[in-house]
Amino acid sequence: MTEARLTFGRCMVLGLAWTILGFLVLPMVVIFPVSLTDQYYLSLPQESLSLEHYVKFFTNEIWLSATGQSFIIATCSTIAAVILGTLCAIGCWRISSRASEAVRAFMLLPIIVPTVVQALALYRFWIDLRIVDTYFGVILAHTLICIPYVVITVSASLANFDLRVEQAARNLGASVSQTIRMVVVPQIMPGILSGAIFAFTISFDEIVTVLFITSRHIYTLPKRIWNGIQDHLDPTIAAVATLLIVVTLLLLLAELWLRKRRDAARANR
Amino acid sequence: MERNVIRSGSKLAPSSFSAAPHALSLKGIVKRYGDLAAVDGVSLDIPRGSFLTLLGPSGSGKTTILMSIAGFVRPTEGDILLDGARINDLPPEKRNFGMVFQGYALFPHMTVAENVWFPLRVRGQSFPESERAVMDVLQLVQLDHLKDRLPSELSGGQQQRVALARALVFKPDLLLLDEPLSALDKKLRADLQWELKDLHEKLGTTFIYVTHDQEEALSMSDEIVILRDGKIEQMGKPGDLYEKPATSFVADFLGKSNFIRARLIASTGPDQATYAVGEQEFNLRPAPATVGPGETVAIALRPEKIDISVTEPETTNRLKATIRQFNYHGTSFHLRVSAAPLGDLFVTVQAWRCGITPSINGELWISWEPEAGVVVRETVAIDDRPSPDGV
Repeated sequence: MTEARLTFGRCMVLGLAWTILGFLVLPMVVIFPVSLTDQYYLSLPQESLSLEHYVKFFTNEIWLSATGQSFIIATCSTIAAVILGTLCAIGCWRISSRASEAVRAFMLLPIIVPTVVQALALYRFWIDLRIVDTYFGVILAHTLICIPYVVITVSASLANFDLRVEQAARNLGASVSQTIRMVVVPQIMPGILSGAIFAFTISFDEIVTVLFITSRHIYTLPKRIWNGIQDHLDPTIAAVATLLIVVTLLLLLAELWLRKRRDAARANR
Repeated sequence: MERNVIRSGSKLAPSSFSAAPHALSLKGIVKRYGDLAAVDGVSLDIPRGSFLTLLGPSGSGKTTILMSIAGFVRPTEGDILLDGARINDLPPEKRNFGMVFQGYALFPHMTVAENVWFPLRVRGQSFPESERAVMDVLQLVQLDHLKDRLPSELSGGQQQRVALARALVFKPDLLLLDEPLSALDKKLRADLQWELKDLHEKLGTTFIYVTHDQEEALSMSDEIVILRDGKIEQMGKPGDLYEKPATSFVADFLGKSNFIRARLIASTGPDQATYAVGEQEFNLRPAPATVGPGETVAIALRPEKIDISVTEPETTNRLKATIRQFNYHGTSFHLRVSAAPLGDLFVTVQAWRCGITPSINGELWISWEPEAGVVVRETVAIDDRPSPDGV
């Protein structure tokens, strides 16, 4: 074993890496003390720590309704995206031809296309469909945005799925839908759950499209924060942001845990 | 537990898993992938209750044929008939054929009992309803004590039995087996051959077995179909195929063979013929029906049908030979001898009856009966053939 020596080059690299990491993380971390401020504007705590902005969040009708709307939209679009994305992934996997590969690549377009371009396109189209500023419109848009993530995670699960297991089910008398329900889905559940977590997080945080396709009726949490920043620098925003970070972190940890379990299950096979 | 052969005197009534045996016919099956014909005009009648093996090297089309029967591959041409009724358009789940897959294809998220229950469950039977049948079939394959394990907690041989139980519990019309023993070690494979044959006798179900292992095919089948490049090369009872291979491919694939290229000199009646290699003449019995004097023939000669002796034997088919190599196999010696004008020949002799102690460059006499040689059609050039290793 050679001991890592602290040469000048190595110091430079390490220093740079930590600087970048700090640059990425610190702005998020600073939100936390700000959310505990005792002032009535966005600032660090002056004399004491206070939870009043958290209280404000949980008692203010505007914040609660925005959170509720975000939850409804994220839940509905997650369910829709998971169902559609899973079916698409299973279909592509079963057909497994050049055409299905093309479909799978096509499904990733929403990730590749710049969000603002997509939002503009949706806005234009939604006007014709008369679903601007409705729950349905936002849920539909978010479903479209979330489907690729579900397709990716479910396809990853299916890549390790033995085609003969599916054939065995058919041979033993199961119809296509019975096979998918009783054999395929239970085994790709970790992939489906990962996809659901991704979809929920993305829909819950999404703002660009929401700004385009909503006006007065729909106020999701990110949109409310955005407006709050523009109106006045209310520290409640910091409290909300902290809560959002915590929830997102928990979801991502759950996803990590699921992936670990999936890998362990694969190793056992 | 693994090694237990299913006892014939089992108190179980195995008939509870066997439906009346069914007959399957293939009529001119062709499967093309682009320009390539994986199966090229295979016609076959599989009688009720028989144990038929599709034997061939990889790429011979045997698995494609099995998958067509199971319904996973749609033949480009030809018909599949079950008891005379065409089943080409029936989806796999409507065919009621049990199948044991290569690698077993058990459902990893279900216990042994749940795996076996599955075919009954998709037919609308609740677990209490089918528990009796599940437990009976698990007892038949001696796994009833492991019913609550997951497949990942079982050994290869046990997983193989679960796959078998699962394929039998719904009384299939046919049992299809796709190289079911290929993942097991040699000893276990031999034991399971006994079990499978025993099971076939007990159930009376028609078995269609796919393998590339000639030993498995010979030991279990009522009938073997040998496939090469998507076509049937020869079919028949194991003994007939082994003793009377029609082609050089069969003679070499089923067991091992020496090949002699000779000139047929005369047929002295239907009973006997004479052939020559260079100046040396040999006898052949019976005389080949399809070739006449003067023609060149390929003659297959099994290594175990060649005798060795120290003194010159009193028969026409004899040559002086020199040992080039030898291997000891416990039961037998495998010798590679060189005997002009035939060149190198492989000889197998029972070790405990071998009158000599083989040594490199040792001299001996080899001889064979006129009945030992078989004239074969040369479907695979006998000169390009890689020499059989280890024989």
